[in-house]
Amino acid sequence: MKNRQDALGSLEHIVLLAVMRLGSNAYGMTVRREIQSATGRDLSIGAVYATLVRLESKRLIRSYTGEPTAERGGRAKRYFRMTADGESALRSTHEIILKMSAGLKGLRAT
Amino acid sequence: MRDRALHLAMWTFSWLAPRSQREALMGDLAEEYALRANATSASAACRWYLRQLCASVAPLLWSRLTRTAWLATLGVALGAYIAVGVVEFLVSWAIANPSASGAAAIDPLGLIITFPMVVLIGYIAARLRRRAAIVLGAMMLLNVTAIMLWSTEAMPRWYRIAYFLVGPAATFIGSALRSLRSARS
Repeated sequence: MKNRQDALGSLEHIVLLAVMRLGSNAYGMTVRREIQSATGRDLSIGAVYATLVRLESKRLIRSYTGEPTAERGGRAKRYFRMTADGESALRSTHEIILKMSAGLKGLRAT
Repeated sequence: MRDRALHLAMWTFSWLAPRSQREALMGDLAEEYALRANATSASAACRWYLRQLCASVAPLLWSRLTRTAWLATLGVALGAYIAVGVVEFLVSWAIANPSASGAAAIDPLGLIITFPMVVLIGYIAARLRRRAAIVLGAMMLLNVTAIMLWSTEAMPRWYRIAYFLVGPAATFIGSALRSLRSARS
């Protein structure tokens, strides 16, 4: 049986994918923009941060503080990186989706 | 008016944000606000900020509540306490003798029937939140102490001692059973 931490919710899955896509430039607002540009889904910044906090508590991502900048009112950015656990959680979720959608002709991309 | 709304929104955001992410979240909002104000207008940026606040209240509040461990423990303990009250009421109602209503409350059978049920409730509470059974035991001890101090009803000494011990002892056993089971698995 898989560990509970391996089970990703749909929002967790999307946010984790965005963190992966952004690489070293993943912070709250860029994660939000990435999801919007890739999916058209206009998530609130609160939903993004709540998900990032949850993913960090599950040790699927880790965060570190960047330098404060003037355009942010002297506040520092908080960057997020995916961990090895995060990568394995993404892989197992991806496998589940592939297995469940295999042979379903109605799900072909248009 | 716009500045006041913006300040209120900023204050609300900083209150709702998780402490570890507060600075980053406020910085992200300031950055996006500046970008939008330059690209469109300050009014449009302010409207965006307020829309973000409205859409963020529920997820941030939920995140705050679920991350507050003591609140969840207290919630489980309170639910278990209510369940104990319901059990006590049902047991005393079931064994009550209508012809001798005063004596029904001091029936040892009530304590004997209630005991395993409180053990079970303590076990379930400890299963949901490890420390909930301890909080439940403390709540029951406080309740029993208050009843003993302020009750005008005449009770035999054995009943007072048993009544004092049954609830906390039952929750302690329930909690110990839970710990024993998790240690085995």
